[in-house]
Amino acid sequence: MLKLQTGKRPWSFYALSCFFGLFVVFLYGPMSAIYILSFQGPTGGLTFPMNGVSLRWFSALFAQERTGDFAGAFTRSMILAVMVLFLTVAISVVAGLAFRRRFAGSAFVFYLAVASLIMPGLLVGLGVGLTFQTLGVQTKWFASALGAQLTWTLPFGMLIMFAVFSRFNRAYEEAARDLGATNWQNFLWVVLPILFPGMIAVALFGFTLSYDEFPRTLLTSGATNTLPMEIWGMTTNVTSPALYALGTVTTLVSFIAIALALGSIAIIQLRRSRRPVGKETSTKE
Amino acid sequence: MNPGDRRTAERGSIDLAGVTKRFGETTAVKNIDLKIPGGCYCCLLGPSGCGKTTILRMIAGHESPTEGAVLIDGENVVGKPPVDRGTAMMFQSYALFPHLSCRDNVAFNLKVRGVGKAERRARALEMLDRVRMKSFADRLPAQLSGGQQQRIALARSLITNPRVLLLDEPLSALDEFLRLQMRGELRHIQAEVGITFIHVTHTQMEAIALADMVVVMDQGQIEQAASARDVYDRPRTAYVAHFMGGQNVLAGTVTERRAGTVTIASGKKKITITAPASAPAVGAQFQVAVRRDRVRLSRAPSEAADAGVNGVSGRVAAIEYQGTWLKIAIEDACGEGFVANVPDGAFFADPLTIGDPVLAHWDPEQLHFLAAPSGKASGAATANPVKAPTVFAVG
Amino acid sequence: MKVSPALMSYLQIGPLLLVLLLFFGIPLLVVIAYSFFQFDGLDSIPAFDFVNYIDVLTSQVTLSLYLKTLYYAVVVWAITLLIGFTVAYFLAFHVQSLIWQMALLLLCTVPFWTSNIIRMISWIPFLGRNGIFNNALIGAGITDEPLEFLLFSDFAVIIAYVHLFTLFMIVPIFNAMARIDKSLIEAARDGGASAWRIIWDIVVPLSKTGIALGSIFVVTLVMGDFYVVKVMSGSQSASIAMAMSNQIAMVQYPPAAASAVILLIVVSLMVAAILRIVDVRKEIAG
Repeated sequence: MLKLQTGKRPWSFYALSCFFGLFVVFLYGPMSAIYILSFQGPTGGLTFPMNGVSLRWFSALFAQERTGDFAGAFTRSMILAVMVLFLTVAISVVAGLAFRRRFAGSAFVFYLAVASLIMPGLLVGLGVGLTFQTLGVQTKWFASALGAQLTWTLPFGMLIMFAVFSRFNRAYEEAARDLGATNWQNFLWVVLPILFPGMIAVALFGFTLSYDEFPRTLLTSGATNTLPMEIWGMTTNVTSPALYALGTVTTLVSFIAIALALGSIAIIQLRRSRRPVGKETSTKE
Repeated sequence: MNPGDRRTAERGSIDLAGVTKRFGETTAVKNIDLKIPGGCYCCLLGPSGCGKTTILRMIAGHESPTEGAVLIDGENVVGKPPVDRGTAMMFQSYALFPHLSCRDNVAFNLKVRGVGKAERRARALEMLDRVRMKSFADRLPAQLSGGQQQRIALARSLITNPRVLLLDEPLSALDEFLRLQMRGELRHIQAEVGITFIHVTHTQMEAIALADMVVVMDQGQIEQAASARDVYDRPRTAYVAHFMGGQNVLAGTVTERRAGTVTIASGKKKITITAPASAPAVGAQFQVAVRRDRVRLSRAPSEAADAGVNGVSGRVAAIEYQGTWLKIAIEDACGEGFVANVPDGAFFADPLTIGDPVLAHWDPEQLHFLAAPSGKASGAATANPVKAPTVFAVG
Repeated sequence: MKVSPALMSYLQIGPLLLVLLLFFGIPLLVVIAYSFFQFDGLDSIPAFDFVNYIDVLTSQVTLSLYLKTLYYAVVVWAITLLIGFTVAYFLAFHVQSLIWQMALLLLCTVPFWTSNIIRMISWIPFLGRNGIFNNALIGAGITDEPLEFLLFSDFAVIIAYVHLFTLFMIVPIFNAMARIDKSLIEAARDGGASAWRIIWDIVVPLSKTGIALGSIFVVTLVMGDFYVVKVMSGSQSASIAMAMSNQIAMVQYPPAAASAVILLIVVSLMVAAILRIVDVRKEIAG
């Protein structure tokens, strides 16, 4: 329950609660509409009412002549997202370690990353595309698009690792060193496990930001599409609920990723912070 | 209580020689000499920021001295990693690895050394048994109470078989009740394992209750290093007397010398005390301390009554009941404070009330002469000479 | 092998720096280089020529594009700030339980991890001629005819922007507010300050770094957008980035690069202006 500050809540609490409720409806309402509409009957259109219920539009996704290469785009997006996930986690964690010490140029790297974060995505895509063209290298989803997406996921990863390290107690490392751990053992057995929940958060950003990335990928994925580009293509030439079915499937994958990440963070944190049930056991025997 | 008597006195002796530690502009530890005998329970005592934790961390190897040497059993360990020093540290918040069970926390050092899984589990259990935590082996640290966490931390440190155990404010995270209990246990375990314990604390009573040797520090320097009794009963400087508490410090300029007495003055206030022949000349500064529980109170006709030799007069400003005794604050005509601790029996036989004029007297042998505050104490646990002071600041 | 701490730092920062330089720093330089190339209608010809800039800067279209984009940016900024501040204020000061705070904040953040394009198109069945909103209005007897301005209009563009970007305001403002010592508010209330006074004199000044960070996110996102404006306006409106994407689609790289550089300068100036008002360095570096 929401706890009270003083006996009775002020009127502003109810007003703000309503505002918040409306905002949540605004946030999720339209999205839920397309999930429902994706189950539209065979004769149904792009809007309500529902003309029956069917899975027709989901099966239409796999009929390539109609919607393009959904299966291929999906596979590529998943592989790319997993690659971005691992690279983002690995690079952000070691970068976070570096930023714990002052070193010449740390400010430069930091501001470079922040600039990369707020750079309009289309500009990054254009730049990477032109660079590859200048070098005479074909743009490919697993090379140029991968790099372009990393310029967006890495700054997020870096900022999350800053927050994680700011709460990391250095006494753990000193204790490990005191107990004879080498730097490597210290990192592997103490630092990494303690950072693990933070790394899952970075992984969540890496995966979902890559999986849904559009403006940076548009000009860098080469001859083949990723899923967001597939959807983009459909917005202009598909006028059936198949578009919504694609949206539903895509969002389902995102939700699974979010649930997995947040769930495992919650489980770890709960496990590490759970107090013993029942009375505090006496220490004297 | 004499450190020299301990079984393993030769093991785990510490010698800090001319140790200075600077962090940038600030000097945390200033040219310290300190010898701690092996097998001794030593408390480093002082307010926060006095450098006590820095000394601990330099012995542990988590900091390097800017100047000077740290010797353990006669061998300079500066530059050596913690594990090669034979020291083990217990951190202030224990720093138990939150992702490892108690057993794995305790077995960490064995894992690092490549001890096989079966053996390290067995040895960890053995150590957990020793701190009576065997039944908690599979719990995570967050599932334990503060006192239990401390036992795990102790077990984790002791499994490395150290010569010296370094404890950084080990009791500060506990509530009052557990603190007293764990205090006793620490002393017990130290006697059992017979190694040197160096315990950092800012609590005076904790230090004198536990330690064979108390090192009182202020602003990066040692004010006094002596037995608990000496530090409490015979503080070397006014700082130690104030910090340890239980003392009235009288300070001022010598205005008059007669046979066997001197009169010191601070502002308008004048006190005449018994003085040795070595007492300073007229015009010099002089500081003495009198234990609060060695002061006798008697009713006086007025608050400005003549106190004579070894006495002060004033009126009762505050009374605090402390159970077996009462703390009576006396304020003299100049507004200066003086405190007498009176046994409850004596007090309630003729209870004083606030505003009553009183005389406070003490026996000449209760006077304790203090050294100059700027003088650096020698680190040896034995010597505590009070030299004739030359330069004094009024306390 | 013993590695010095300084060398270790560079080894650890190396991968990040490498990726940023290869895929952000160098490409940026390449874009700048291309902006000086000549374009003959088919090919890019390496040169050092200001012709692309002159074309862009002298074109009447450019000015109207910038005005339109700035209009979107300002309106969306104002709306997201209002909503973001209110939501963050509610979460930080009216929700007392930490678990509820986190749960509700998460509720606002989850859409961030889903596709922007899908969230955008989800407004189509809502706002269309036969959409949910129009049907509801007609059903309620408010209008007889479906409202035409709902979809494929500035209104639709702005509503989609607000929908997509408000959480970029909520999170930084909430972070700043969460750090405000609650006893300050209580002290002010004890001192007789009204709720508005407290918000204006305590909450706003103490959460201004969050407001600035959120503003930077929203402004740069709107200024750099090309797909929301294209779909939600039904190609009836345009933005700078959308015009740029059209040039790119027609392989007119040097003019596109010049537009990109100008856009970059404008966005940088806007960010610099925000930073000049509020110094956020402590916030992001801390």
